[in-house]
Amino acid sequence: MTAGARRCDVLVIGSGPAGQKAAIQAVKAGRTVVLIEHERAVGGACVHRGTIPSKTLRESAAQATRLARDAATWGVSPRAGVEVSSLMARLDHVVSAHAHYMGRQIDRNGIERHHGRARFVSPDTIEMTTVAGERSLFTADVIMVATGSRPRNPPEIPIDHENVLDSDSILSMLYLPASLTVLGGGVIASEYASIFAALGVKVTMIDRADRPLKFMDGELVAKFVEAFQRAGGTYIGEQTIGGVTFDGVSKVLTTLSDGRVVASDKMLVALGRAANVDELNLGAAGLAPNARGLLAVDDHCRTANPRVYAVGDVVGPPSLAATAMEQGRRAARHALGLAEGASSETIPIGIYTIPEMASVGLSEDEARKRLGAALVGRARFDEVARGQISGITDGLLKLVADGTGKKLLGVHIVGEGATELVHVGQMALLGQMDVDTFVENIFNFPTLAEAYRVAALDLVQKR
Amino acid sequence: MAFAISTQEPSPLAGPGSPENPPSSTGIDPDEQEVLRGRVADRLGTGNIVLPLLPQVASQVLALTSQPTVDALQLSNLIHRDPALAGQVLRIANSPAYMPSMPIVSLQQAVARLGMQTVTEIVLAASLQSGTFKVPGYEGALKRLWRHGLASGLFAKEIARLLRSNVESAFLCGLLHAVGKPALLQVVADAQRDRHRERGTRGAVPDQALRELLSEFHTGVGLRIATSWALPQPVVNAIAFYASFERAQANRREAAVACLADLFAADFDEPQPTFEAEVRGQPVIGELNLYPEDVAQLLAKRPAVARTVESMTL
Repeated sequence: MTAGARRCDVLVIGSGPAGQKAAIQAVKAGRTVVLIEHERAVGGACVHRGTIPSKTLRESAAQATRLARDAATWGVSPRAGVEVSSLMARLDHVVSAHAHYMGRQIDRNGIERHHGRARFVSPDTIEMTTVAGERSLFTADVIMVATGSRPRNPPEIPIDHENVLDSDSILSMLYLPASLTVLGGGVIASEYASIFAALGVKVTMIDRADRPLKFMDGELVAKFVEAFQRAGGTYIGEQTIGGVTFDGVSKVLTTLSDGRVVASDKMLVALGRAANVDELNLGAAGLAPNARGLLAVDDHCRTANPRVYAVGDVVGPPSLAATAMEQGRRAARHALGLAEGASSETIPIGIYTIPEMASVGLSEDEARKRLGAALVGRARFDEVARGQISGITDGLLKLVADGTGKKLLGVHIVGEGATELVHVGQMALLGQMDVDTFVENIFNFPTLAEAYRVAALDLVQKR
Repeated sequence: MAFAISTQEPSPLAGPGSPENPPSSTGIDPDEQEVLRGRVADRLGTGNIVLPLLPQVASQVLALTSQPTVDALQLSNLIHRDPALAGQVLRIANSPAYMPSMPIVSLQQAVARLGMQTVTEIVLAASLQSGTFKVPGYEGALKRLWRHGLASGLFAKEIARLLRSNVESAFLCGLLHAVGKPALLQVVADAQRDRHRERGTRGAVPDQALRELLSEFHTGVGLRIATSWALPQPVVNAIAFYASFERAQANRREAAVACLADLFAADFDEPQPTFEAEVRGQPVIGELNLYPEDVAQLLAKRPAVARTVESMTL
């Protein structure tokens, strides 16, 4: 222990979803916990720059989509030339309310929180520097690194936050551009591409993969791409970027590997995220980032230094808030010698594209690989009364079962409401229920949840 | 944040202070200062404020566009030197007269979408609407105000870049955060002229008194301009709250960026040896979560910003 250092049982660096859940788990286990947050407010990028701000913009885009759909009924049409700030009018309130709630939760649980930058000075000691430059030392039995990530800035692309933007700076654009090129095919790229397309921006999405969101079920992604194209978007796959330049007047020019040049008013670069490890002085803890700049961890989120754990974006994909929370909780339990609980296979994935996508459990391909066979039941939202009533007809729900068609293995949904609807499937998986449960039980009518029953009936017929 | 305003010529004030009625620290008889203040307030109450435009810029734009090799970037850079003119051009370019399919948010865009000739016409129209505006005795003050605005815009860009925020929005917030001051200068000069007529005196308002008047009234004037120009909400909030960002209900970050940019620009106007130490202790540094090394990065940008301001100053 370093002389003059404050001692605690668990020290958490970062108060995003992963760090917060780790801290709360540790304090609930009766340990003394210190939480150091680099930003002024708690919550991490999730609250201040990522999940919540982008979902606020998405809500406006979804409203615009509904308005456009019902324009004739109400005799109105979406206004052109909308300020981005007006689309996010509630953002400051939402962020401040959420950060306040999280701060209160941390305080209520007796977690000691500090505002400052943390760096290792030895394998068990952290030096914290405040904004005012004051330094102090902390030592702990367990150190949980949950410092999150920031947009990756590929050196060959001139991100100037004026014409070529990243996922942080795009949210502070003054006006919607007429056209936007989105580089990338991951979650952030797909979410923003569909949001801006829904807002009337001419969006071109470019990626090296033949389709976006390769980790998601192909049928779901095909539905998403269809909806994106209906909104005026274009997906250009299997292309690498030859170069990006601003023409000096008004256009960003993107040269593709096949020689095509795409011109747009603005560009969003969403080519992954970089882990926030630069300031940690990992060498002092006997650690180093791996080739991808991430902290390597084992199945329990433990690093090569047995007292140091890493959770959330800092360990890499899937970089989703829900997954990060669960990593934080499980890592804390493991570090404190407590049982970790249920398998992480039942953590749902929610993607806030327009339309939404959600998934839990095994995909069709994974099930076939693991079990040799799988049966799938499908329900299109246009077969469900609520889908027709609400005008949500382009959705799809897939149930994946084992080769007998009995045991439920996974649920995959595309369509508005998917990120909520998936939890029914998650509970069924956690309860190890059979597919027949959906046939034998009644859902409220009319609801989108009925799609579970329709898909289950489809699956039963294939046995 | 106060900053220096120098008048072009020495400003002998009417009626030096008497032992019974000594001049205040503002260099003006306190009673007379109060009268002047009341006159300025009255004039603002009537509500009709014309923005000062520098006719030289319009002349230079004309000269520039007559050259066959000039491109859109050069034209927009020239207009950018004058925040009032730039704002007017954007406002007019976005007006129903030109019916842009999407809002025009930058001068480059205005030139690219509307063409150089149209933008030139807009510049002339803006100048004519405001008249060939001059504030005799206050030319130096006006120039310093524009320089301050430009420096604020450029510093705001650097702050935003550091914070990974949109620099285009930050530039406008910085450039226009105190846009009320140049407009107010004319109001103050007119009020002073009236007093001179009544009293048979002459001279410009002394620096300190002028500084206080501008400081007191410019936010309200700036907001009127923001409304008439239909400026974007983040810019409006930066104008309203840059001096009190903690009160901003929305766009608090933009207001704080404008606040810090204003501090850096004030040091650019009148360099202070203690600036580096003092700026680190400002509440806005904590608000923007700038650690010592971040502030050091911004401080290191000062020479580059100064060079840009000098190159863009008429």
